Amino acid sequence: MFPAQHENLQIMSHAVVGFPSLEENEKAIAGLAEAGVRLIELQVPFSDPVADGHTLVNACYEALKHGGSVRATLDLAQKVCARHPEVTFVLMSYLNPLYRYGLEELFEKAAAVGIKGMIIPDWPVEEIEPWLPKLDALGLAPILMVTPNTAPERVEKIAHASRGMIYVVSRLGVTGHETQWGEKFRKYIAEIRKHTDLPLAVGFGVRTADDLNALTGKAEVAAFCSQYIEWQRDEGSEVAAEKMKKVISEIDTATT
Amino acid sequence: MIRSDNGYFGEFGGRFVPEILLPALTQLEDMFFALRDDPDFWQEYVTLCQEFSGRPTPLTPLRRLSKQLGGAQIWLKREDLNHSGAHKVNNVLGQGLLVQRMGKQRVIAETGAGQHGLASAIMAARLGLDCTIYMGAEDIERQYSNVFWMRQLGSKVQPVSTGAQTLKEALDEALRDWAASVETTHYVLGTACGPAPFPEMVSWFQGVISKEIREQAMRQIGRLPDEIVACVGGGSNAMGAFGDFLDDPEVALVGVEAGGISFEDGQHSVRLSHDTGETGIAQGYKTLFLQNDDGQLGDTHSIAAGLDYVGVSPILAYLSQQGRIIPESATDDEVTEAFSLLMKTEGIIPALESSHGLAGGFKRAREMSPDQHVVINLSGRGDKDIFNIARAFPQKEWTEFLQREAARSTELLAQKRGH
Repeated sequence: MFPAQHENLQIMSHAVVGFPSLEENEKAIAGLAEAGVRLIELQVPFSDPVADGHTLVNACYEALKHGGSVRATLDLAQKVCARHPEVTFVLMSYLNPLYRYGLEELFEKAAAVGIKGMIIPDWPVEEIEPWLPKLDALGLAPILMVTPNTAPERVEKIAHASRGMIYVVSRLGVTGHETQWGEKFRKYIAEIRKHTDLPLAVGFGVRTADDLNALTGKAEVAAFCSQYIEWQRDEGSEVAAEKMKKVISEIDTATT
Repeated sequence: MIRSDNGYFGEFGGRFVPEILLPALTQLEDMFFALRDDPDFWQEYVTLCQEFSGRPTPLTPLRRLSKQLGGAQIWLKREDLNHSGAHKVNNVLGQGLLVQRMGKQRVIAETGAGQHGLASAIMAARLGLDCTIYMGAEDIERQYSNVFWMRQLGSKVQPVSTGAQTLKEALDEALRDWAASVETTHYVLGTACGPAPFPEMVSWFQGVISKEIREQAMRQIGRLPDEIVACVGGGSNAMGAFGDFLDDPEVALVGVEAGGISFEDGQHSVRLSHDTGETGIAQGYKTLFLQNDDGQLGDTHSIAAGLDYVGVSPILAYLSQQGRIIPESATDDEVTEAFSLLMKTEGIIPALESSHGLAGGFKRAREMSPDQHVVINLSGRGDKDIFNIARAFPQKEWTEFLQREAARSTELLAQKRGH
């Protein structure tokens, strides 16, 4: 399930379906679950991932060579949702692969295999609104993004259409670079909280235990994705899971 | 000029971008919508095009070639005579006026053939702006002369080495830059694609081409032409040439896509004419894309870097669906033949992109009668294609010259390092 408002910070991590291979995805997800991760994004690889930085762009290209697709994502989701009931799986995709599959059918299948939410960075709120009754009926949460330059009235609109969590993009830019968590960020979070009771998932630039500690008490979820994929790429899924476990233990110590 | 219904043209268009880009796009749209209804702004734009780029460009009759082909009278709209050598500069000068009003100090652009990049570099130099051009590594190899000039003009040319390393990847990378820099940077999108308001706005600026064609046809032919033909990559020169004639059903509008080597996947850039494109949503907009069953955008090929693109203007996709434009294609071989024919018969050196329009236009003109008139939009000149043409028509003297020049260049560099 998604965390409740003001629950302790937890990590959301990531799998790019097909990276480094479909078999390895299953092992990597088991490793993350074992490390204590309770939220995992399953990213459908895409040829033109415009909101991602080079780590995830290259992972997408690799994944496409190794059988990553919408169908492979649904197959993987079916397995891992059944195998790890303690983990909440979220579908992350650019719109076109889902659109090509057929949105209605995709939503139904995703919900049926156990996916709880969706992050679709190039699907604006105006296009999502007509789908809300359908998504609510399926229990599939659209997790929309708010960015530092989103106007207050638009934050209101996005908060109204979001379910489960709101994805707070920490800064301008794409995924995978550093972020500063100062006073400006605190005000940004406070402004979003005025419009919603949903938990906040902060993403873009969460790369170290220090980042996580900076987010403790400010957000319920930290999306720890590009750094994890870099570990997976450079040192393999097992080492990546160990490193993830260590990072999680470091926040636990810091908060208690 | 065509207006969207809230960013859409029929089912195509829209604005499918990461949330971070939305404020910049709505700001741009508000500004554009206000300015396009202001006649003084159009006058300011046309005056700038006249003073800086030599507009209006002529409508040139091809008397010898028309006679030789034995069909319709062929006219060329000479966008190749623009400053920078292509129609791309029209849109760039227009967006330059918007950048000045927004007060932004940096611009970015994507480029395929390098003509839009070159035009953007020229505008940035003229207005004193910082400028970064994203260009596929493959396109840099194909269009090095334009890269050379962009750098000389003071722009940064950033090679893009992901995927097929062509225009699609350059556009992705420009969007990524913009997501980080949107508060200080304007993205000078070069074609009638991308998120609203770009397709509508780029078409509006390029519409100066068709307004001139109308006046010149009335003066030189005495009536409107029977057909207007333009090559279609993203679609900016085609929308420019067609825009003012959409409500004149007696004027046929023909868009010629890049047929490449064959209709096999990855060997062409045909999205409209052979049911090869499928409706999709990517790069910020909904249109016909070359894609696979999983919605992954496909690889494309054309001898002309500027047409080597996976999507097409949502406005052209809509007009094609409505039957208002006739989509055609020309293969790489037909294109080099048309290139050569124009050069040798009329003394005009066309760009390879524009030579698609020539190939399609010549083919159609042959089937028409001598009292009919075809206008082909010659969107750019061919100087930039010197290396590609040399490859298409190999000559021993050229290869030997390149070897001597490479030796001289290496020696100069060594001397410079030695000092």
